[in-house]
Amino acid sequence: MKSSLSWIPLNWRFEARLALRYLMTGGGQTLLTIGSVAAGVIVIVFLTSLIFGIRAKLTKMLTESMPHVTVKVRDLEPVPLSEIQDLDSAMSSSRIEKKAPQLKFIDDWQHAIDTIRTVPNVRMALPAIQGQGFASKGGNPIGVSVTGADPSQQDQVSPVTKDLIAGKYVGLAADEVVIDYELAKDLSVSIGDRIRMTSSTGNTEPLSIAGIYSRGQGRGGAYVTLRTGQSLFGMGNSVNVILVKVNDLFGSDEVADRIQSLLPYEARSWSREYPSFVSSLTVQSASAYLISAFSLIASSFAIASVLIVSVLQKSKQIGILKSIGAKRSQILRVFTLEGLIIALAGSLAGAALGSLLVFLLSLPLQKTARPGHVPDQLFPVAILPVYIFGAVIAAIIATVIAAWFPAKRAASMNPVDVMR
Amino acid sequence: MADSETTTRSQIVVETRGLKKTYFGKVETPVLHGIDIQVQAGEFIAIIGQSGSGKSTLLNILGALDVPTEGTVLIDGVDIATLSEDDLAALRNRVIGFVFQFHYLLDELSCLENALTPITICKGEASEDEKSYVLALLDRVGLAEQINKHPDAMSGGQNQRCAIIRALANQPKIVLADEPTGNLDSRSGNEVFNIMREMNREKGAAFIMVTHDDRLAQEADRILAIEDGWVHEIDKREHRMKLISSLNDS
Repeated sequence: MKSSLSWIPLNWRFEARLALRYLMTGGGQTLLTIGSVAAGVIVIVFLTSLIFGIRAKLTKMLTESMPHVTVKVRDLEPVPLSEIQDLDSAMSSSRIEKKAPQLKFIDDWQHAIDTIRTVPNVRMALPAIQGQGFASKGGNPIGVSVTGADPSQQDQVSPVTKDLIAGKYVGLAADEVVIDYELAKDLSVSIGDRIRMTSSTGNTEPLSIAGIYSRGQGRGGAYVTLRTGQSLFGMGNSVNVILVKVNDLFGSDEVADRIQSLLPYEARSWSREYPSFVSSLTVQSASAYLISAFSLIASSFAIASVLIVSVLQKSKQIGILKSIGAKRSQILRVFTLEGLIIALAGSLAGAALGSLLVFLLSLPLQKTARPGHVPDQLFPVAILPVYIFGAVIAAIIATVIAAWFPAKRAASMNPVDVMR
Repeated sequence: MADSETTTRSQIVVETRGLKKTYFGKVETPVLHGIDIQVQAGEFIAIIGQSGSGKSTLLNILGALDVPTEGTVLIDGVDIATLSEDDLAALRNRVIGFVFQFHYLLDELSCLENALTPITICKGEASEDEKSYVLALLDRVGLAEQINKHPDAMSGGQNQRCAIIRALANQPKIVLADEPTGNLDSRSGNEVFNIMREMNREKGAAFIMVTHDDRLAQEADRILAIEDGWVHEIDKREHRMKLISSLNDS
């Protein structure tokens, strides 16, 4: 009866022993309260893993194939004539037009890349050519966006190799191109066939198809080497864009701002390109937190009501304890400890069961898959230790608060009243 | 003379002066009208009276569970009105032992653990000496075989005996018993009473027992009767005569 609790300080030992005995003899009542804590934690673990799993998957789908920050030459902002000319001696105009879009060069891109690499959170920076062109094979030309970049580096910004269905991308020759599966279908071409690529600046190059890829997201574009891109768009040794990848996706805005302050170019982050996507992610996480909070509140109420009944059932015992010298604080401790033990047992059981549930849910795969790829998970859930830990801590706090009120009530019972 | 009075005073463990108690509910109910009693160390006192006469109220006040409306209560020489709630709890723990009509043992604890409760409440854990003291008491009242049993596995008489040992565990100066035999058949009741009387003689604790049982009251050192909120001492010889005549009548 003694040894098992000898690690508990003497002034807590009586309370701890009594709380444990109450729980052990409580049977169904104890299981009910532990179960309701566990249920709350299971809901949180399951919900956060699902919502944050979906969020991670969507974000990955969207951002893995795009640069996180794109650095370009700044478009000239339209400025009213009145601001740049002396009004008295000039005509004024009410019509303000942007200059017609045109390819703009980043001549000092080596220096720009060195500068960008000094910005914290930047993983890599890739010089590239991006532009519009037409691909044709005898028949009508089909519009296609063209990217010219070093293949092995491009694979780290917008992976092509991993989406290849046939052929190769890394090791691309100057007269070769990798095109999208849909485009290949429309052009009726396969590996080794030759197509003509005409850029928006009018240059034409004959290219042979070295690879075909599919991202399963509608029609993609064409990839050539940096050299070929430069000659297609007549850029000499310049590039027109620097593609940046960062480590922390949601820090892209800061990276873009920093680059813009260091270089005379425009830097745009993915999150500013897709503000509605980012806000829908925020709404999703907010609802996950809200539902988690409500499930905790619901289980706290359940625990509080069971403990209130248990305190009422024990009122005579509480009376006798007080009459033989138990202090108010000791009674408070007994019932708060009871709550704490329920909280620990319930939240740990909930975390284990919730993780098991998430694991089982991660097993089934989608029935359909992209050509040449393994099917994705049907439910994009992920076991997230941070949220499981958070759920356990939150549940323990909520349960102890729920136990506090009945404990306070027990502590303030008057022995003369309850033993009458 | 002065010396003998000092000695007598120091041996008074319970004293009330002008003790009044009124309950302020919807209507004002005066229960005790001015009680003056003194209990010497080691005395066995029986308090008798009709239901509702204020016996239990008096006992609760003597046990520092309730406060008087007026008057002074000295327990072991200390005016309980001067004590904080925690000090009162400590006083109940060390100076006073309670026995109630129902045993009120904790079902979750074994017989031995229940008997040790006053010690564990105060110290967290009973020392080996304290444990052997309590074990000896339990053995003395015939519970040696029951020490690991829980209250629901013991008889009413056994539970009440265990409750008496619990009241004595901290070696209190005063034991307050509120109809300790009221819930037992007469055989178990007699056993419990005899144990209390023996403990009173052996351990020297003063016993104040509220009872309905005139026969048990006759066994006490003094008999106090409460009638309509007033207390008066009954002459034991008179009480004995009344007892015999009522026995003859029945």
